[in-house]
Amino acid sequence: MKLRPFYAVLERELVRMIRQRTRLVAAMVRPLIWLLVIGGGFNSVVGRAHGLNYQDFLVPGVLGMTTLFGAMLAALTTVYDKESGVMRMMIVAPLPHAWIVLAKMVSAALAAIVQALLLIVLLVLLGHFGNGTNWALLAAAVAAASFACAGIGMLTASFSRTLDNFAAAMNFVIFPVFFLSGSLYPVESLPVVLKRAAIINPYTYGVDFLKHAILPASVPTDFSVGLDIAVLAGFSIVALTVASWRFSQESAYEPMIRVLTGKPS
Amino acid sequence: MNAPQIVTTPAAIRAEGLTKRYGEVLAVDGLTLEIGTGQFFGLLGPNGSGKTTTIHMLATLIQPNAGSAEVAGFDIGRNAVKAREAIGIVFQESALDRTLTVAENLRFAGLLQNLPPRTISERSRELLELFGLGQYRATPVAALSGGMRRALDIVRGVLHQPKVLFLDEPTLGLDIPNRRRIWRFIERLREHTSMTVLLTTHYLEEADGCDRVSFIRKGRLVECGAPRALVDDLGKHILEIEGADIERLVARLEPKLGPCLADGDVAMFRWRQEDITELVQLQSELGAKVRSWRVRRPNLNDVFLWVAAGKELRS
Repeated sequence: MKLRPFYAVLERELVRMIRQRTRLVAAMVRPLIWLLVIGGGFNSVVGRAHGLNYQDFLVPGVLGMTTLFGAMLAALTTVYDKESGVMRMMIVAPLPHAWIVLAKMVSAALAAIVQALLLIVLLVLLGHFGNGTNWALLAAAVAAASFACAGIGMLTASFSRTLDNFAAAMNFVIFPVFFLSGSLYPVESLPVVLKRAAIINPYTYGVDFLKHAILPASVPTDFSVGLDIAVLAGFSIVALTVASWRFSQESAYEPMIRVLTGKPS
Repeated sequence: MNAPQIVTTPAAIRAEGLTKRYGEVLAVDGLTLEIGTGQFFGLLGPNGSGKTTTIHMLATLIQPNAGSAEVAGFDIGRNAVKAREAIGIVFQESALDRTLTVAENLRFAGLLQNLPPRTISERSRELLELFGLGQYRATPVAALSGGMRRALDIVRGVLHQPKVLFLDEPTLGLDIPNRRRIWRFIERLREHTSMTVLLTTHYLEEADGCDRVSFIRKGRLVECGAPRALVDDLGKHILEIEGADIERLVARLEPKLGPCLADGDVAMFRWRQEDITELVQLQSELGAKVRSWRVRRPNLNDVFLWVAAGKELRS
């Protein structure tokens, strides 16, 4: 097994993340706005349930949001890589092409984990985190959620050909995935149609896992930890398989082949 | 008496009946090719003739619909990863990350090739010097000029010391000083290594230095040989005439000179003898009917034009 190529992809992702500081700042500001502004605003309207105010209920949701956006944006750079020259460097490397997908997926998950850790530090400093947190479970939940989100990202990337689809992916993938989950409200209390959508959304299980780790045990969650792990792990594997298969279909570098051969797209 | 010993150099590239179809279009049509180890081989042809598709198939990036090929002894279908280990490829379009620096790009490319970091930094230092990029190690690729970027792309392609190097139009879109510079680099590189090089270009004068060239037309190989021999096959001289009523001139000259290549009011004939006194006589016979009359030596460009027009080189 060749680890250096794998490491190369991870290193590039982290270098780019650190270099694009606005991306990192945005990744911190976005969840904090949700927590402090929207959570703070709704606090007075919604009231307390199970000894918890709305803002506290929102903590797992915004942490999940960081993993979702972090992993999705990193995975979607695969689309950028296809249009720029970078994919050419990767496809000529002496590796099975499925390796590239795996490496991209792991590096997207890693980017999400790093961003989640940064947010946790910020939340602890702001006093919104720490009481009653099961840290071991939290580590597992962040990792599992990050991988599943990276899987959603790799699937989206493997089916979008150009960067034009990138904005569409934001609107039609990230937002529905986020809103149709238990991030902002318990799945249990959703209307039937939305509830069904939330139940087939793998991200819902990531947020649920985070709730298990962060919220006090007295707060009811939607699923068991075992189910969360099974769904997240299963989905990650399926996503990886499908994305690898798509990638081996030449279509992954079709835009490039088209440019090079002058075929109309 | 001993049988004469046959010395065979193993082929670096061997393709048999390679075919690629894009929908209705037959991009490469039953291409058969053998390139010996260490050869500098030019694949020449007009745009859209299938050069790039051929390279992409040989580099295992796209799969042929039919036929097979071996690169450095590895089958491009069954042993694609092994084949990729032995090849370097420089695409027409840049294969670099514009957001990373020169050194970071080479580190990324080298790690992808499974090279140890120490080897990467040693070789990139050497190659960057060789390619005149020594002082740009920390420069982001986005800040390099087109010529420097192409040079870096070649460094990227040879960092892992491939046995076979594919150069797809390495000088496309560059101005003449930069084209010359790229060729100097490639020559230096060839002095340092014994790589087999498969080059495509449509700047024909650049293919003069090739050991062997093949012309490809509509996905088929039409001519193959040493550049000098192909030029010699064409003839000793090319007669280029220009006149107002070119069709009548051609009709008059063709029985004597053989078929011509006509384009607008210019026509080109081949002349197979060294002696051109007959041509001189012809010129005085025609007199004022010809606006311009030029006899010159043929070059690879003429071969290309003749081949592109679908004419036989040898009569």
